[in-house]
Amino acid sequence: MARDRQNGDDFVGPLRKLLVGLLVVVLFGIFVVWRIDSPRVERFRAAVVDAVVPNMDWAMAPVTGLLNMVADFQSYQRIHEQNRDLRRELQQMRAWREAALQLEQENAKLLDLNNVRLDPNLTFITGVVMADSGSPFRQSVLLNVGGRDGILDGWPTMDGIGLVGRISGVGQTTSRVILLTDTSSRIPVIIQPSGQRAILAGDNTIYPLIDFLDSADVVRPGDRVVTSGDGGMFPADLLVGQVALGSDRRLRVRLAADYERLEFLRVLRSPQIEVITDPGTLIVPALPAISLLPPTDPALPPPDAEAADG
Amino acid sequence: MADAVGSRRWVGRVTYGLIAFGLIFVQLLPLNTMPPGWAPPDLLLVVTMVWVARRPDLVPVLLIAVVFLLTDLLFQRPPGLMTALVLIATEMLRARAAGLRNAPFALEWATVSVMIAGLTLGNRLILAAAMTPQAPLGLTMVQLLMTCLSYPLIAGLAQLIFGIARPAPGEVNTLGQRI
Repeated sequence: MARDRQNGDDFVGPLRKLLVGLLVVVLFGIFVVWRIDSPRVERFRAAVVDAVVPNMDWAMAPVTGLLNMVADFQSYQRIHEQNRDLRRELQQMRAWREAALQLEQENAKLLDLNNVRLDPNLTFITGVVMADSGSPFRQSVLLNVGGRDGILDGWPTMDGIGLVGRISGVGQTTSRVILLTDTSSRIPVIIQPSGQRAILAGDNTIYPLIDFLDSADVVRPGDRVVTSGDGGMFPADLLVGQVALGSDRRLRVRLAADYERLEFLRVLRSPQIEVITDPGTLIVPALPAISLLPPTDPALPPPDAEAADG
Repeated sequence: MADAVGSRRWVGRVTYGLIAFGLIFVQLLPLNTMPPGWAPPDLLLVVTMVWVARRPDLVPVLLIAVVFLLTDLLFQRPPGLMTALVLIATEMLRARAAGLRNAPFALEWATVSVMIAGLTLGNRLILAAAMTPQAPLGLTMVQLLMTCLSYPLIAGLAQLIFGIARPAPGEVNTLGQRI
């Protein structure tokens, strides 16, 4: 009987094998196309995410809420300890608040004296985190604001305090934020008292690495790290965090944003995003068309027209 | 009778689809946005392997392709690569599934582990060849290990909850047909 079954399968076998092989080839083809023309496929990905994830939202929001409530409930067990910590922190905060108030008054006075007008262009849109990347190798979250709300690729995203990441991938109703901790995140920063410029490079840990630092001697743990605005990518002076010395003796950043609870994120309308429209002219400037051979056949179009076409 | 068997098969396929959807849903929940120090097992892959090794008739190739292509797109992986590798691995496993029925469980586990390892390494090699930025090697290895270790657990759960058992040789279903 078993023999019969296998024989019965046999005449469908080759056809099936062929079709599966074809499917595998098509899938590898998708990968190759993605590698060659990533933006187009990424736009397709954003469209798929846009179509799928908002449909899950009705279930996702309550489940997430419920699990967070469970986590909160567990934290009640440590409430006494937390209370004591909070009291101590409050004490410190009072001192800081006093200092901040004095500085604010001084600042207001100085601004008034100088007749400074602050930049009104930096407005923001707030979005809710719908989903995360779903993979331990990628650090990104999905917001419920998208192209419909005027979000553009490259805009910086903050929580209430510090920088969280940048928009990369915009769908109609959703947009993806690549977090600073992602391995592909590179942000130009400046380290405050010393004015050193560096690149903040994510490496899939909660403490991103400070890379391309000019002289590490003048940077100390505890220094403030803010965006530098180099390259016109981000506005300058957005708070990123503080310098910390990692366990591997390399300089890292303790992020100011609370990465444990990313719930509401602000997307800043960054005024100066360069839009890359044409990949060719960006690297190679347009050359004047030089014909090496003089046109022999008058029926052929002149080389100038061809060059203009291509 | 053939209709009854057919509908049972469709119920099995829909069940697999629902499990896959549930796993994707849970992974997408924004519970923890901290970068993890370790990687959880790739449960969807394990579930697929269990199903293919034990009841290949319930997981057609197209269903696997659709599920994994969707996860490729949703989880920010290079689209198509993982799907193609999973299809190759499951086809190899499918061809061996009949032989694995009589084999001891340890052999089934070893076969699946080798396939998962080959899949992970192949993925990394192809990504390296295409000069694509990759996840840290340590994290990938942790995930590979966890995925292989979780196979017996998932196989047991599948048997308990969904009745995805290895059919004994000559075993018949309730309708008297060979499985």
